[in-house]
Amino acid sequence: MKFNKILKNALLIIVACLALSACATKKAGTGQMQGDVYTGKDTVEYLASGVPDRVFFATNESVLTTASRETLRKQAAWLRKNSKINIVLEGHADERGTREYNLALGERRANAAKDYLMTYGVSSDRISVLSYGKERPVDSGSNPLSWSKNRRSVTVKAN
Amino acid sequence: MSRNIIISSVLHLLLILFTAMSLPFLAKKPINLPPIVSVELIQISDKSNIPFAPKAKKIIEEIKEKEEKLVSEQAPPKKIKKVKPDAVPMPEDNVEKIKKIEEDKQNPEKIDNEVKQVSEFEKKELFDPNSIAALIDKSKVERAETLKKTDKITQDQDRNIENTGLSLSEEDALKAQIFGCWSIPLGLPYNENLLVRIKLELKPDGSVISSEILDHARMNKPGQGFYKVLAESALRAIKLCQPLRVPSTGYERWKDLQLNFDAREMLEG
Amino acid sequence: MIRKLILLFLVFFPSNTYGLIKVDITRGNLDPLPLAVSPLAIDIESKNKFKKILNKQDIGSEISIIVERNLKTSGLFNPLNKEAFLQKPDIANLKPRFEDWKLIKAQALITGKVNFVDEKLRVEFRLWDILAGREMMALAFTTVPTNWRRVGHIISDKVYERLTGEKGYFDTRIIYVAEEGPKTQRVKKLAIMDQDGFNNKFLTLGNELVLTPRFNKTSQLVTYLSYFRNLPRVYLLDIETGTQEVVGDFPGMTFAPRFSPDGKKIIMSFAKDGNSDIYTMDLESRVVDRITNHPSIDTSPSYSPDGKFISFNSDRSGYQQIYVMDSNGKNVKRISFGKGLYGTPVWSPRGDLIAFTKLHKGKFYIGVMRTDGSGERLLTENFYQEAPSWSPNGRVLIFYRETKTNDEGKGFSAKLWSIDLTGYNEREVKTPTDASDPSWSSLLSN
Repeated sequence: MKFNKILKNALLIIVACLALSACATKKAGTGQMQGDVYTGKDTVEYLASGVPDRVFFATNESVLTTASRETLRKQAAWLRKNSKINIVLEGHADERGTREYNLALGERRANAAKDYLMTYGVSSDRISVLSYGKERPVDSGSNPLSWSKNRRSVTVKAN
Repeated sequence: MSRNIIISSVLHLLLILFTAMSLPFLAKKPINLPPIVSVELIQISDKSNIPFAPKAKKIIEEIKEKEEKLVSEQAPPKKIKKVKPDAVPMPEDNVEKIKKIEEDKQNPEKIDNEVKQVSEFEKKELFDPNSIAALIDKSKVERAETLKKTDKITQDQDRNIENTGLSLSEEDALKAQIFGCWSIPLGLPYNENLLVRIKLELKPDGSVISSEILDHARMNKPGQGFYKVLAESALRAIKLCQPLRVPSTGYERWKDLQLNFDAREMLEG
Repeated sequence: MIRKLILLFLVFFPSNTYGLIKVDITRGNLDPLPLAVSPLAIDIESKNKFKKILNKQDIGSEISIIVERNLKTSGLFNPLNKEAFLQKPDIANLKPRFEDWKLIKAQALITGKVNFVDEKLRVEFRLWDILAGREMMALAFTTVPTNWRRVGHIISDKVYERLTGEKGYFDTRIIYVAEEGPKTQRVKKLAIMDQDGFNNKFLTLGNELVLTPRFNKTSQLVTYLSYFRNLPRVYLLDIETGTQEVVGDFPGMTFAPRFSPDGKKIIMSFAKDGNSDIYTMDLESRVVDRITNHPSIDTSPSYSPDGKFISFNSDRSGYQQIYVMDSNGKNVKRISFGKGLYGTPVWSPRGDLIAFTKLHKGKFYIGVMRTDGSGERLLTENFYQEAPSWSPNGRVLIFYRETKTNDEGKGFSAKLWSIDLTGYNEREVKTPTDASDPSWSSLLSN
């Protein structure tokens, strides 16, 4: 029984990987998405030279990608240097979810970023969190690329 | 002294401003919505329950006679229009007087029967204002129209005659006809037992001599609003359909006929 | 099967007529009932009075147009073309000649008259069963003249109730979010209108983002989410007095508010540190109770009409699904097991169904299921639609729908739509601006 379940899970994972890679290769043409996480620079602004202001998420996810963690480490370093700056983390979702769930999802994404900044030495007193759900898209398109740009947590200077 | 007053008033003003600011701004003052004026519901049932004033009554009877004559003569509808007056006047002015007379005459029970009393014009319905006029419909319709025979007699009919039933095709013809006439009230809930059984007495040509709802006690029970609606729709269907497509033979078999109206199948789908 | 047998037994047992032929009629047409709405008669004097007060040429025919439109919108009735009427409005004082109405295939007829009496508007109306040749209902109303539209709605409700056996939903309002501006910079205001789109009013100026307004049972109070000062909090607004206050002033975001059926509590989500749970607040004592405690997203709570249960959506299974629990948070049970994601459960006023939004394979559906999750029925499919709200009689759902933009990101719109519980009669509810998050009031009169 158990073995069967493991086998089933393994199969599922393989299928999922295949599907994902299929997606990745298909969208590789645009070169702006990995899986369905946005990797481009179109909408990104900078807090300081070399410090991007935002990180992106996969659909329905609030897990930080490797690239996101790198960005947040840069932000943390910059924040440690500029100890007088407070920030707001604005969490967003794409338009492909119900409004209320997206509000919660945006909050979860912003908090994922907050937690990571805190582990790199930024005091929680300096960070506030604000979720906009699907209310403030940065790209008004109705396609997977636009949606990937909108699934984001943006670090905004509060003062 | 005066300085203190100024300071105090400035502080107060600030406080007021602050409280005003601490809430989101509304569009203008309180919202300019139409006043919620309660609407009085005035029952005018007793008013229209009164029998017609003598004159009007006469007119009605005259019309009824004319109608019957005309119908029996199979006059085309256009002619009927010309003969009949546009409508029958209702006694509006004598309301008060007649109401009093009414109260004297009628049994007290019958006056305040139901809140939403249905007003009726026909005098006979005064006896039970709650019941539906068509419960027992004795209005005789003289129609000599020949019936449309819809189907041939099938072989298994012989068997059915002994069982005093209709053959499948006979039943299908009748069903198909009534299906077309029956507007199922769409608002009905499908999870309730809403079966309306109507017993008909038929003429050989399929026209209806009388129709009776078998569970008519249920019609006026509180909470049975859906049943009433369904029963009324069934009666309308029979009215709309007649003469019914009955078999050409075996009148004795089907002169009394029961129709069971059941909308659940339709409403569930 | 057993039920059918019992039914058969019931059918046959009481009939004492031996050998009576019985024919089962199990089908009929589901076409809307054809009916005639005769313009309300009005005397010259009253007509002139109303013309002065309301600036309407003929208030009688205006009211009858409201009735006609309401009944048509319901999808259950087919009001016949007035030009085919053979009798004039003055039959209000007379018994109609049924043969004439039969000719144009009307099965029901509404007649009536309007008068100006003691500075008030008085309407008498009668509903006639054409085929049975009898009167089904007669009522009169008096009210202030400016309330004339409501008179039309109340007549519609009475007719609807008499002909369908259930309460109407026409004398109601809808509160919603009016939207304007580009998709990335939407300006949103609270707005309220009559169920038919008339008497539209904006309740906020649009300075801050507002979302998800919901009526309480008396339709006097509204709870909603406002981003005032960039602090998303649940607010309470009294639409009569215009007073408002923060309800969910917790150290975090409060959202997804709804009233309890008795109106004493507000149930909402509270998000903190990346976790959203469901809380209630007693409006009088301000006591806050935590209802769920789970590291997943728990939101969109909605009470059953008896207040005993709460439905909500949660992603505790990994994906957004619908759950039902006791009102104290015990006995959490997942009820949605179909393919896809499920959200925004709303308990029907009748208590037997839960309406929801479903996302499956890139399409959004509005559907209903029984409260145990069985009998799922999807009513409508679209690119994006969500947030159903029930009409007070539990017959119709109103929701909002957003359009897909083109490659340039243009062509976005958000509109209100309504659909019958059967999945028929889908239609747009017209609003002056774009609109979302509708909430249907209860019947204003009873």
